[in-house]
Amino acid sequence: MSLPIVFPLGLAALLFGIGLWGALTRTNAVRILMFIEIMLNGVNLNLMTFSRYYWQQDEVMASRAPIIALFIMTVAAAEASVGLAIILNVVRNRGVIDVDKVDLLKG
Amino acid sequence: MSPDYAYLHSGDFIIFALLAIVALVSAFQMVIVRLITHAALFMALTFTAVAGIFLLMQAEFVAAIQILVYAGAITTMVIFAIMLSGLRDIKAERSQQVRRFGRSDYFVFVVGLIFAAFMTYIYVGAHLPLSQPNGSMATVKAIGTSLFTTYVIPFEAASLLLLIAMVGAIILTAKEADQQ
Repeated sequence: MSLPIVFPLGLAALLFGIGLWGALTRTNAVRILMFIEIMLNGVNLNLMTFSRYYWQQDEVMASRAPIIALFIMTVAAAEASVGLAIILNVVRNRGVIDVDKVDLLKG
Repeated sequence: MSPDYAYLHSGDFIIFALLAIVALVSAFQMVIVRLITHAALFMALTFTAVAGIFLLMQAEFVAAIQILVYAGAITTMVIFAIMLSGLRDIKAERSQQVRRFGRSDYFVFVVGLIFAAFMTYIYVGAHLPLSQPNGSMATVKAIGTSLFTTYVIPFEAASLLLLIAMVGAIILTAKEADQQ
């Protein structure tokens, strides 16, 4: 891969930035969860880029990055399932999906 | 460091540029599109494009897991959650949400762009050692071998985490059966 390393790293940073933008501005809870997944994916892309460019000299190091990426995806899947279950409960109990309107603890 | 633009003519760069444009445009569309089901489908497109970039980096295992877990499982789960919560305003964001770009939207967009630009500036200025990747990434065989020998404890912890998440999601969403 003759690409300079800045391009995939820049793409990962841009994905993270767009995910940050969406997660901070949208108020729909499901959509916020989707942007968190996008941000996690950008982090994964960053990790895999560094692994591709610097970590493949020996066999032991080369197989570490996919394992870390696998664990990140596992945690992301678990987080998404529990988060969506919580969102469904909020919708069922309070009838809103807007996170601005879930203000039971607001003084 | 004299700039060398020979990579502009390589096939890698063209494919990477196409995939990056697809990923960024669909991630942008996720933010501004009105229907949330469309946003979920754009999310699947973003994940597929990133999986293509993983394939370009010869990380086939991660690309396959990305397609399976992200583009398959998580997208399906999000769409099911949208469908199961029968609210109308979850499908299309209404009332004050309809304004696409409020003032705060632009502000946070600029914050995200500044973050990306700052990170890219750091990457460019860091003078990372030029590494021409030779050889290939770890094969699935090597990954599996070290996953089931060296990293078997984290692997079991991850499986336990998934089990707990599954049980928790079922308990959270199941209607109480004993009340009927």
